Amino acid sequence: MQLGAIMIVNAELFVNDLPGQLIGSLEPISLVNGNILGVVHNREKIIDHRICVNVTFEVDDKRLEELKDLWQSKDIVISSLGSVHETFKMDYILIGDVNAQYIESLVKKINEATTIDQISVSYSSKSIKTASHTSLISIKARYEDNLDKIDMILRRECKRSNVTYVRGV
Amino acid sequence: MKAFICGFGTIGQSVAKILKEKQEFFLDRYGEPLVVVGALDSKSFTVNPDGLNADELLSTKKTTGMVGDKPYKNIKDALNAVDFDILIEVTSTDIYTGGVGLDNIRYALKNGKDVVTANKGPLALRYKELINLADEHGRYLLFEGTVGGAMPIINLNKYDLAGQQIKSIRGIFNGTCNYILTKMDDGQPFEQALREAQQQGYAEADPTSDVEGYDSACKVVILANSIFGRNATFNDVDITGITSINSDAVALAKANGMVIRLIGEVSATKLEVAPRLIPRGHPLSLPGTLNTAEIITEYAGPITVSGIGAGGPETASAILSDIIDIMDVRIGE
Repeated sequence: MQLGAIMIVNAELFVNDLPGQLIGSLEPISLVNGNILGVVHNREKIIDHRICVNVTFEVDDKRLEELKDLWQSKDIVISSLGSVHETFKMDYILIGDVNAQYIESLVKKINEATTIDQISVSYSSKSIKTASHTSLISIKARYEDNLDKIDMILRRECKRSNVTYVRGV
Repeated sequence: MKAFICGFGTIGQSVAKILKEKQEFFLDRYGEPLVVVGALDSKSFTVNPDGLNADELLSTKKTTGMVGDKPYKNIKDALNAVDFDILIEVTSTDIYTGGVGLDNIRYALKNGKDVVTANKGPLALRYKELINLADEHGRYLLFEGTVGGAMPIINLNKYDLAGQQIKSIRGIFNGTCNYILTKMDDGQPFEQALREAQQQGYAEADPTSDVEGYDSACKVVILANSIFGRNATFNDVDITGITSINSDAVALAKANGMVIRLIGEVSATKLEVAPRLIPRGHPLSLPGTLNTAEIITEYAGPITVSGIGAGGPETASAILSDIIDIMDVRIGE
């Protein structure tokens, strides 16, 4: 199976107030190779004879639907499901004949080749009066592989335009 | 055992001094001394089969600028003038040809001598050839002092991390560049920081090898060959120096909680020296002239070592440990 991106999920579940139900609500997470980060058994919050369980876990985003099906098959009610994706961040400084138009063309090439979650560009203040700046590009990508692709593009393009690029670690 | 010190600059002089100071240690550990029977610099040499006096060598060098009273035309004549067991090869590094150091190491190994060296050039250019030569003649060629000065890295990987896969090593391998970049963190422009490094004695009059990343590249090659079993040479390294790093870039990095450092990186597939953005507080963000390395291992996770990357006594300490390794095998503990 092809792996997706890792996402961090916070779920509010309601389980029947019977022995073994707490464990029963957590088992499906293991079945989809999820990694449980925290569990709160909220005995004060009871709705329709069901007890609230808050669980936070990491899971491959491609297996989340499978997990929901597993919970439903076990008569576990999913009250809410919030998630954030884990992202991989990399910073690059470009030194040389770099202006906004050049950065724009680089970003376009990156967008064509890969998916990025977020990109921000800042310029050095000292040389802002001239057309050329030293620029810092911060990129957040959902997959680590994307960073390798971005790195290859920047390396190639900067070499072509005689721009020094300094990347993070 | 008998040693010949080939090269009597800062490192050679420190080796002579430390070997003299450690005579009691050698007597305790092996029941015999380590005698320096020959010393040579670029102009002269001196030998004594019964042992040279380190204080006299140092004093002669200081007063006359030469270690000995005999000139030579061919270093081999000097090396043939006395019988010895270990060649301590610390002539100056030539990263383009390997220089006299390469000839000296070849000659010593072929003639049945063990070799300890801090000379990067020969190993960065002819690693495989020299290791094969040592194996062929049943000799040791040890070179802990070539990477990171006092910072233990080659023997650390070889002995203490033996058996496990080393996934990658990245680090600061040039104290001069790190000094310059640290000064730039404080707002100095590159040229001024370089001049200060030269005035402080950290940078050579011709700083090309340091600031263009060549010196770091030699170390990356030595690590690639000795730890990753690669057959790399200097020309295989993707090198970017620090000459194009300007104050703007350093300030921009600083404003975003980072510093710029010249990082050498080596793995099974990578050989690179380049300026990199390092978050403040990261082990590779070290300031000043220190060297540091982050070793990513199979079982032990990341291991970070750091130490003074250059200097006479510091490099001599690495040479001393290599000499002891050889004596442990040749004489036994």
